[in-house]
Amino acid sequence: MDVLITGIIMGTFYALLALGLSLIFGCLKVVNFAHGEFFMIGAYVYALIALKVGMNPFLVLIWVVAFGLIIGLIVERLLMRPLYQKYTEWGAMRDEYAIIVTFGLSLFLINLANQIFGPYPISGPGLMPMKERVLLGNILMMSSHRLIAFCVGAGVLIVAFVLVRYSPWGKIIQAVSQNRFGASIAGINSTKVSSIVFALSSALAGLAGALLCPIFSAEPFVGALPAVKSFVIVVLGGMGSVPGSILGAYLLGVLEQFGAVYISYTYRDTFGFVILILFLVFRPQGLFGEKAREV
Amino acid sequence: MRMEKRKLDLLVSVVVFCLMALVPVFVKSAYWLGVLVVALYFSLAAMGWNLLGGFTGQFSIAPATFCMIGMYTSAMLVHYLHWSPVAGILMSIVATAIVGLLLGWVCLRLRGPYLALTTIGFAEIVRGLIRFSYDITRGDLGLSVPKLFGGGGHVTYFYTFLGVVVLVQLLLYFLIRSRVGLYLQSIRDDDVAASGRGVNVVGWKTLAFTLSSLICGLSGGLYVHFIGLASPETGLIIQSGLIIGMAVIGGMGTLTGPLIGGLLLQPLSELVREFGVQHMLIFSLLIILAIRFWREGLYGSFRKVLARVS
Repeated sequence: MDVLITGIIMGTFYALLALGLSLIFGCLKVVNFAHGEFFMIGAYVYALIALKVGMNPFLVLIWVVAFGLIIGLIVERLLMRPLYQKYTEWGAMRDEYAIIVTFGLSLFLINLANQIFGPYPISGPGLMPMKERVLLGNILMMSSHRLIAFCVGAGVLIVAFVLVRYSPWGKIIQAVSQNRFGASIAGINSTKVSSIVFALSSALAGLAGALLCPIFSAEPFVGALPAVKSFVIVVLGGMGSVPGSILGAYLLGVLEQFGAVYISYTYRDTFGFVILILFLVFRPQGLFGEKAREV
Repeated sequence: MRMEKRKLDLLVSVVVFCLMALVPVFVKSAYWLGVLVVALYFSLAAMGWNLLGGFTGQFSIAPATFCMIGMYTSAMLVHYLHWSPVAGILMSIVATAIVGLLLGWVCLRLRGPYLALTTIGFAEIVRGLIRFSYDITRGDLGLSVPKLFGGGGHVTYFYTFLGVVVLVQLLLYFLIRSRVGLYLQSIRDDDVAASGRGVNVVGWKTLAFTLSSLICGLSGGLYVHFIGLASPETGLIIQSGLIIGMAVIGGMGTLTGPLIGGLLLQPLSELVREFGVQHMLIFSLLIILAIRFWREGLYGSFRKVLARVS
């Protein structure tokens, strides 16, 4: 039972990451290989502001989101924009540009963090005092930070999901990801939508990083593992499918915990990749994926 | 016109090789010769990746993984079965060719981001297997192996590596100039049109995968008997990033680009390291700038300048 609950809690944080990745893939048709580094930036911003300024951790979360939005906007503006502005000129070169540029960005951010903050992990304070434990229905002891972080994460996740799925803005995002060209004919400024989506995804990833910061600590390579996990999830749920990526996140979170407990702990992270390749080869559209509509 | 371009590539490569061959006359320090040997290893791996990424347009993010497979194949054969290093290197070529063939076959239907993700998954699975099979590979400790030449100094290694790079470059030149080279480039430019014109897309793609992996495996096999240690560190995704970056900055899809990229950037990053700056920081910034503003790379610019002068 506690394995299941741990899985669900981890799943929530994975879902925050995977949702952003999935939105980016939907709108920009790009796998953002630097997604884990947005997670890392969030963790650093949280740890540094909370430790150096001594602000209330909940207020720091707002700063993390703001910072994530700004970073996302800058990156989109500088590096992603040519993707759709030079769409016709580039043709087949588009994929290779996207892969190399986000891959390079990932290396750049990791090493920038390494240069500025050094390779030492910085642990942020918990949302609640870390030593405090709560008892959940006589079954499970967990730190109250974990519980609060889970609640915040789940809350944001639900709001984001409802916004993307049902609000008018969400409908616009869906339109752009279904058919970029068609959406712009219908009067949607798809460039603007893409930059908003990119900024939002970056903020979500940063929030996940901040919430997990007291557990994982901020260090330059902290984003690598969550990032590859979110790749697995996005493929599992179907590239670009929002409900798919959230379900995939919970599925992976739970499966991983069970695998670690009942099969083998050392190979835990390897399982994910095996799932990834199996899915890519046999069912590239994922569990819930749909084929994009062509013009 | 295309013939001219490739001939120019070959000419420049020959000039580079001649310059390289003269280097040990001037550079006496064992340290810098060692750096150049490592640079040749990276050049070789970048040339291998370029065949797949630059000429065929298939974006694998696993070149360093194939280097690592090459390293461990040779290392384990030499360590456990006491084969000679030369035989080990030959076997590492065979092993990586087989793995490359399999991966190519798995990835046939995938392209773009899907292919990149699959190769990342593949890279991490292989690294995980090697790291956690302590009893065979000694995990993170690494497997120590005898060197290729018992007593030879760095000069011997330097000329051996250079010789192999020259050989591979010549073979690549003939391959790219041949009909097969045109097939590969037609797949890169438009695979649907290529198959419409009767190009066996599936076959040539698999071939490109196999050859590219084989070249990386060869470089890994050679490298392990120079360094004397096979470690899972060499298969990190960052290492693949280095190799891809060298090809991109040098000039993707040109014969000479990856060669120049490896030879210039590896010593450069050693220099930067002496100033206390993370060499990967500069390097990744260069990758981003190169792909964003300067797509033809070092060699492409050189070619342009040359065209203007003549």
